[in-house]
Amino acid sequence: MIRSRPIIALTAVAALLLAGCGGKEDNASGPTEIAVWNGFTDASATNFAAMIDQYNKDHPDVRVTQLMTSNDLVLQKVLTAVRGGSPPDVAYMYGSWSPNIAEISTVTDLSGEVSKPGWNWDDFYPAERAAATVGDKIVGVPALVDNLAVVYNKTLFAEAGIAPPAKDWTWDDFRAAAAKLTNSKGQYGTLISGDASEDTVWHYLPMLWGAGGDILSPDNQHAVFNSAAGVKALTTLQQMAVTDKSLYVDATNANGVNLMNSGKIGMLVTGPWDLPSFTDIDYGVQVLPAYPDGAGHQTISGPDNWVIFNNGTQRQRAALDFVKWVTAAPQVAATSKATGELPTRTSVGEDPTLVADLTKKVPGTDTFIENLSNVKKSRPTVPQYPAISQALGQAIVSVLLGTAQPADALNTAAQAADAALAGK
Amino acid sequence: MLREPLTSSRSPRPSPIQRWSESLTGWALVGPGAVLILVFGGLPVLMSLTLSFQKSDLLSTDAPWVGFDNYRKLATDPLFVEAIKHTLVYTALFVPGTMLVGLLVAVAMNRSLRFISVYRTAAYLTMAVSTISQGIIFMWLTDQNYGLVNAALNTVGIESQPFLSSPSQALYVIVAMTIWGWTGFAVIIYLAALQAVPAELHEAAAVDGASRLTRFRTITVPLLGPANLFLLVWLSINALQLFDEVYLTTRGGPLRSTSVIVYYLWDQAFVQFNAGYAAAMAYALFVVVVIITAVQFRITRKYVHNT
Repeated sequence: MIRSRPIIALTAVAALLLAGCGGKEDNASGPTEIAVWNGFTDASATNFAAMIDQYNKDHPDVRVTQLMTSNDLVLQKVLTAVRGGSPPDVAYMYGSWSPNIAEISTVTDLSGEVSKPGWNWDDFYPAERAAATVGDKIVGVPALVDNLAVVYNKTLFAEAGIAPPAKDWTWDDFRAAAAKLTNSKGQYGTLISGDASEDTVWHYLPMLWGAGGDILSPDNQHAVFNSAAGVKALTTLQQMAVTDKSLYVDATNANGVNLMNSGKIGMLVTGPWDLPSFTDIDYGVQVLPAYPDGAGHQTISGPDNWVIFNNGTQRQRAALDFVKWVTAAPQVAATSKATGELPTRTSVGEDPTLVADLTKKVPGTDTFIENLSNVKKSRPTVPQYPAISQALGQAIVSVLLGTAQPADALNTAAQAADAALAGK
Repeated sequence: MLREPLTSSRSPRPSPIQRWSESLTGWALVGPGAVLILVFGGLPVLMSLTLSFQKSDLLSTDAPWVGFDNYRKLATDPLFVEAIKHTLVYTALFVPGTMLVGLLVAVAMNRSLRFISVYRTAAYLTMAVSTISQGIIFMWLTDQNYGLVNAALNTVGIESQPFLSSPSQALYVIVAMTIWGWTGFAVIIYLAALQAVPAELHEAAAVDGASRLTRFRTITVPLLGPANLFLLVWLSINALQLFDEVYLTTRGGPLRSTSVIVYYLWDQAFVQFNAGYAAAMAYALFVVVVIITAVQFRITRKYVHNT
């Protein structure tokens, strides 16, 4: 039977190739299948799976499946899938990627869609809408919202003999408290991630805005963060890191939550997602301080989006309908209840019963929800933002490590940002 | 051989059709594997080559051809030059370091002792530790304020070091961390080579009055040649492609002090969206790896006694 062997093997090759090429055909009969890529974990994952089950039960003509991925890596995966011609139908994407996502040709521009009834687009918080908008395009629907506030350790404040921060506190108050909370037993007033990534940068931005500055000129043509306001904000960080040594620069960007939870850090500027991790301490939450002659209490929001890809009209329509359903007020409220995440819609966030309920489960949630109204500015949605962020991140860290002065560092970064904006 | 094997007189020479059929069978059997390798290995390599001549962000379908622009840019990019420097410093420390530590541990373990297999397993265990665990362990060990290493230094009167938080120390911490991680690998290779050293040679030399050290130097070391060559090439290639450990611990920082070639490449492709430029960088690295490997083969061929 020696002669039949090549045929078997060749058939196997052909079968493999066919299998590799399969999966792209449209399901002529049966329900429309759409794939949702997300990186939910723990309670969020359980909640989202339940949402999908619910939707599938109510919509027999559509079958939603999900693919778990890491949120940090989803862009890389989507890029690969787009190049390969088989993108997901819906993907959970960070808002900071919006300008780059806008360049993908199969991403659905929702600008004509969201004004239709049923979306209630204006019910989403302004910061969320801004993060989903790139020029005249809308590239996603808000999936998650957060913001930064100060989480402080009540016990350490009492030990140091400081009153808990008030709503109208200033960055001078913050610095003074940080200094008092620092001691020789390895306790620090506060902590910042010093890996020069966007994580470092977005802790600096609300200080920059609060001091009255901005990242780019209104026409997004050149950098203006090296203004007097920018220098002032960075000087605050410099004073704490270099002069007072009350600011712990966490080079690895991995220790903040653990150190806070073990009572080594007095105040941590962070978002609502970290609250459930602070199980070992008695904490309070307060809005970010202000500069007396600045632009008031501000914060920054990093909303994430559901991005919809066009894989044929039928699947696109199904994807739109699913996203519309999952981001509608009842589902937003249910998600917040199940996961403790901040509601993405104003109507839900203003429901006092829900807010009280959330705050009972996770203390401090009410402050974070209120703080959403302190989101007055957003990061510019320009494709060069990653380069600008990187330049700014290096500037901030060089000052924190004591190797540069704020004005010089920001000027250097502004030059790099301008070069990136000019297209080199 | 004087006589033809008996069987050959019975069966005639295979006919051309049979031979053709046999070679076709062979091709068909390797076919599936070869196709997979070509599709998932070969094709991306070629696509990446074309990408290196384009200005592409991977996002938009518009990717104009730019000829050698990406390669020219490499030569004048100070951050790339810096990344090369860090990579070379890292390689120059990591490769000999791992080989030396691996050899010492292997020699110590090349004897019969009670529980020797436990020790050998322990030495190899570092290879089984995932890079992520390794990164997290070292981050905490070397933490500026709360790390065990600094606690140990403090007890002997040395003040705390910033380690991964310091632009001048971070790269060396990564060297130490990866030497720790790869020692088990070097130990296994050296242990196998040491056990292949014929005992008669040692016995004969001992009879002639050679000391232990002389025997090690003149018998064992030369016979370790192939193991040395293998480790040198293998570890160098790995060192030039360092990424995971940097990504996990320092993200190229502080202040780009641990930005190595592959990290910078990743940053350009997936953070800055300069995919064409990153592809050019990958090809430059590929050429460097080929050259270094060729040089290593050439230099060591003289000293390696292949048995």
